[in-house]
Amino acid sequence: MEAIYQYAWLVPVFPLVGSLILGLGLISFDKTAANFRKGSAILVISLLGVSMVLSIILLWTQIQGHSSFLQVIEWAKAGDFRLTMGYTIDHLSALMLVIVTTVALLVMIYTDGYMAHDPGYVRFYAYLSLFSSSMLGLVISPNLVQIYIFWELVGMCSYLLVGFWYDRKAAADACQKAFVTNRVGDFGLLLGILGLYWSTGSFDFTVIGDRLSNLLESGAIGTGLAVLMGILVFLGPMAKSAQFPLHVWLPDAMEGPTPISALIHAATMVAAGVFLIARMFPVFEHLPAVTNVIAWTGAFTAFLGASIAITQNDIKKGLAYSTISQLGYMTMAMGVGAYGAGLFHLMTHAYFKAMLFLGSGSVIHGMEGVVGHDPVLAQDMRLMGGLRKYMPITATTFLIGTLAICGIPPFAGFWSKDEILGSAFAAQPALWLVCWLTAGITAFYMFRMYFTTFEGDFRGNDQSLRQFLKREAIHGFSISVGPGAMHADELSLNPGDDHAHGHHGHPHESPITMTLPLLILAFPSVLIGLVGTPFANYFTEFIHPPVATGSLHLGVTHGEEFNWNEFLIMGGSSVGIALIGISLAFLMYLSHRIDPGAIANRFPALYGFSRNKWYLDDINDRLFIQGSRRLARAALETDSKVVDGVVNFTGLITLVTGEALKYFENGRAQFYALIVFGAVLGLVVLSGVSG
Amino acid sequence: MDTTHFPWLTISILFPVLASFLIPVIPDKDGRTVRWYALIIGLIDFVILVYAFYTGYDFNNSNLQLVESYTWLPQLDLKWSVAADGLSMPLILLTGFITTLAILAAWPVTLKPKLFYFLMLAMYGGQIAVFAVQDMLLFFLVWELELIPVYLLLSIWGGYKRLYAATKFILYTAIGSLFILVAALAMAFYGDNVSFDMHTLAAKNYTLSFQLLVYGGLFIAYAVKLPIIPLHTWLPDAHGEATAPVHMLLAGILLKMGGYALVRMNVGMLPDAHVYFAPILVMLGVVNIIYAALTSFAQRNLKRKIAYSSISHMGFVLIGLGSFTDLGLSGSVLQMVSHGLIGASLFFLVGATYDRTHTLILEEMGGIGRSMPKIFAMFTACSLASMALPGMSGFVAELMVFVGFAISDTYTLTFKIIVITLAAIGVVLTPIYLLSMLREIFYGSENQHLTSHEALVDAEPREVFIIACLLIPIIGIGFYPKLLTKVYDSTTIAITQILDNSLNKLTLPQSYRAIMISEATVHSPSLVFIRAPEIPGLIKGIH
Repeated sequence: MEAIYQYAWLVPVFPLVGSLILGLGLISFDKTAANFRKGSAILVISLLGVSMVLSIILLWTQIQGHSSFLQVIEWAKAGDFRLTMGYTIDHLSALMLVIVTTVALLVMIYTDGYMAHDPGYVRFYAYLSLFSSSMLGLVISPNLVQIYIFWELVGMCSYLLVGFWYDRKAAADACQKAFVTNRVGDFGLLLGILGLYWSTGSFDFTVIGDRLSNLLESGAIGTGLAVLMGILVFLGPMAKSAQFPLHVWLPDAMEGPTPISALIHAATMVAAGVFLIARMFPVFEHLPAVTNVIAWTGAFTAFLGASIAITQNDIKKGLAYSTISQLGYMTMAMGVGAYGAGLFHLMTHAYFKAMLFLGSGSVIHGMEGVVGHDPVLAQDMRLMGGLRKYMPITATTFLIGTLAICGIPPFAGFWSKDEILGSAFAAQPALWLVCWLTAGITAFYMFRMYFTTFEGDFRGNDQSLRQFLKREAIHGFSISVGPGAMHADELSLNPGDDHAHGHHGHPHESPITMTLPLLILAFPSVLIGLVGTPFANYFTEFIHPPVATGSLHLGVTHGEEFNWNEFLIMGGSSVGIALIGISLAFLMYLSHRIDPGAIANRFPALYGFSRNKWYLDDINDRLFIQGSRRLARAALETDSKVVDGVVNFTGLITLVTGEALKYFENGRAQFYALIVFGAVLGLVVLSGVSG
Repeated sequence: MDTTHFPWLTISILFPVLASFLIPVIPDKDGRTVRWYALIIGLIDFVILVYAFYTGYDFNNSNLQLVESYTWLPQLDLKWSVAADGLSMPLILLTGFITTLAILAAWPVTLKPKLFYFLMLAMYGGQIAVFAVQDMLLFFLVWELELIPVYLLLSIWGGYKRLYAATKFILYTAIGSLFILVAALAMAFYGDNVSFDMHTLAAKNYTLSFQLLVYGGLFIAYAVKLPIIPLHTWLPDAHGEATAPVHMLLAGILLKMGGYALVRMNVGMLPDAHVYFAPILVMLGVVNIIYAALTSFAQRNLKRKIAYSSISHMGFVLIGLGSFTDLGLSGSVLQMVSHGLIGASLFFLVGATYDRTHTLILEEMGGIGRSMPKIFAMFTACSLASMALPGMSGFVAELMVFVGFAISDTYTLTFKIIVITLAAIGVVLTPIYLLSMLREIFYGSENQHLTSHEALVDAEPREVFIIACLLIPIIGIGFYPKLLTKVYDSTTIAITQILDNSLNKLTLPQSYRAIMISEATVHSPSLVFIRAPEIPGLIKGIH
């Protein structure tokens, strides 16, 4: 078994090789390589498959009790500063390896169907493979600097993939927004890493933790400073895991192709923030102020995401806000010290949310057959309805995912969410209350989504509704960007695209390459929660934090006797509020006993607040985007008028007064240079003679 | 004559210069022969350099190597003396590499090709000389001589405002370099023995006020070249008007001359004065980073945008120089080399884009990604390199500067926090202007006006080759920085040692107390722990 650990570094290298081959092929022989579709897909998928098998073996040996493994090489050196890079295989990284490789593999299979008609098919696979490689590198990083490196690389892949359809303006804006917002988080992360290195002289998590506690005890550094460093580090996860206020990039990132939304923006990359908090656990446990901030940020974000998700009409945007909300749960769990619970939810969420996103992709794929390749129409739930008839597999798997996320037993989400709620209650009942309410909202918006998409009658052929949606999109668009935006012609109301693809009249079920991953993902979405039931919590036993903790609760299930009463009360209350949410959704969107429009009209302010995403994008636009533009223009004005002005003015005086200007304008500067050279030479000779 | 080996460095300087004199007699009407000639000469010279360093250079030696010294004017102790150490060797190699690529990049030049390649080859030798000479006066001479080809390359082959730009460039640099001459003379005649030899000059015991005066003079000269704000305004004009190959040389090599000279002379020869100037350097570095990044964001002219981004990146060199740590200094040198590669690649791509779109104004571009996917891909890769993406050389350099400054024991905690925070804001600003630029050039729906243009073809193999040549070392260093850092590590350690001596010797005035700690009494808390180096390849289990 030792040999497999020696070669564990191959896990991220295989997909890297795949992406390099495709990338070099595209650069060198673009036409030929772009036509080599099936071959490229098979190459990339099989390389990742090898990584997956390796990962599963690694996880298996870890479960069997193999000790952790660390191997490093010296990477950079200057004087007595040495920086090592390498890889570590422990319980956490082995688990993450399996999650990432399995979801990535299924998404890659799905991609074959989803991107079948896209000219960028091979490029997409190259990016996908590069992303998988970076993500796998991230989870096996043994120190903070290496995490930071892969952290940025997954951000870059996200940038490339969100902007994959680069001729769409929305995608172009979204990818830049994603990268820059993440850089803001990285700014904090970098400062935090520097601060921690300054104070502890190490980039290793456990070493930092130990030394930091020493320093705090001896008073060598103040608590305030240590808390500041902790919060700076948390800025990184805040951006990557889309926590308030740095969550704004994630909904826009849905402009990327749907497989990406499933893999990067739901299952893996956005979970990297939670993963980093888990890795930083030995450090954060000494800083209760920081864990408090983390917990409350998570709880607030969970509520924020859910409150926005209830009014979204775009199926992917709705799921994106749901992801933000669920990430909030995980972050909160980490903040209250429920290490195992947070990671458990990370795992269950990765599977069921990937399935939901892939399901939404399948829906969009089906809708495109009816309304054409227009995201405004194909993704709007108001045009869907009744899809269960046409897409039974998609509908069933989507329903399973919905039940899982709502926390209905025995689906996966119930067990993990229940564990988080329990830990929150044990830590701070106020946190529990927020999350419990959010669980109700979650059930409501998810079933709203399910009912409007799959139940009722199909509304996709309603031409007046289509025109209305188009007009609404343009209207909303011109508000956010302002008149005079480039290429207004692309937004013309002429529905020429529709005819090009012909009317099927009704959507169709997706091909097998797309439905198969959905079916496979349905299994973990139902069953994987069973590894972490409160009666027999194998998961928490396996994934315990790296050092024994003193100051924090380790979650209710850790090392405690199982208590039926407690479980029934906690579980019952969360299932209860979920059922209330589902019933409301049923009354409003399936049986139409309650008119949602009337409620919206009754509380226009609240409705507008949620619909406009708490106006955060507008604030962001006014304050930061316009602000930085103004500042930049001011800097340029200063530069060209003041700094350069002084120079030119001086130059003018000296030049205009003499004949020099005319002289230079003639372009005979050789002569000038000759003078300089001659003068210098003369000087040398003169001093030589006189000396 | 104390040369015991074959004079490789002298040959590598003189070979391209002498070869350039043959260009006028080459029978060539359309410039096709002469460009091959120049390229082959460039390649041969690069091979000479690589061979010389491969056979005659020892990485672990911090002293000057490949020393050649020929007496020229014995009364003045003026010698033709060239040598290389860890500081100059990577820059000499960079010069050979970039200049050869620039000759290849100049393939489409049709205006007066003979003169163009003549100047390129003359520059080749001159630039190597700047990094290799070990005599102050000689340094001044080659520094000045270097200006002439640049001036001509700018003023003959540049854009519409080329004469204005070229004049501004030469005035700025010539006035700046007068300070070098004055400083060289002052240092040479200080004390008993008259000498221009850098080694001898460095060993002299100058008084502190003399050091400060000379440092100030040299600093102005090199601040123009680097450039340091507010002495930078020649650069956007020169870069805005230059053609792509000249551009590559300007960004790739000429800017590094300023940084190199700062380390070689100001830091290495006047360490006492450097202790006083270092906080100023650091502050100017921060200004460079933020101010130039903001200006770049507002720029609508593509070449000027990249020019300002160069200025911004040079800020990290300054912070590293002022850090008093080997790590920071090492980061500075790495940043110079790294920016030489990245800057050259970006400017080449800007030139390649301009050849196709015939405009540099961002408003007139947009939506050309679909018609030139290769240029799009290469532009994206190089922009990512420029914004210090990990896995590329810029990241390592910036990280080393950041960590180096953070662990510096010379500055107070408050000063360090302020500087690092501001410098890190630059890290946020860089992607804003670079990604906006990419978006405005390539993204968006197809631009009918531009795509109907017949010249809008994708990159040809020559262009892909040039970018590949530049990206390979960028990514290579990014993946394994020791490739480069081990080349100069012993030199930067030696320089830091000199600085440490000065630091311990000097008592700083009251006004410096807020930012600097004169005695080495307060250390960062990390020094409590023994920084046990981890053994490479060590396998160990935790838990």
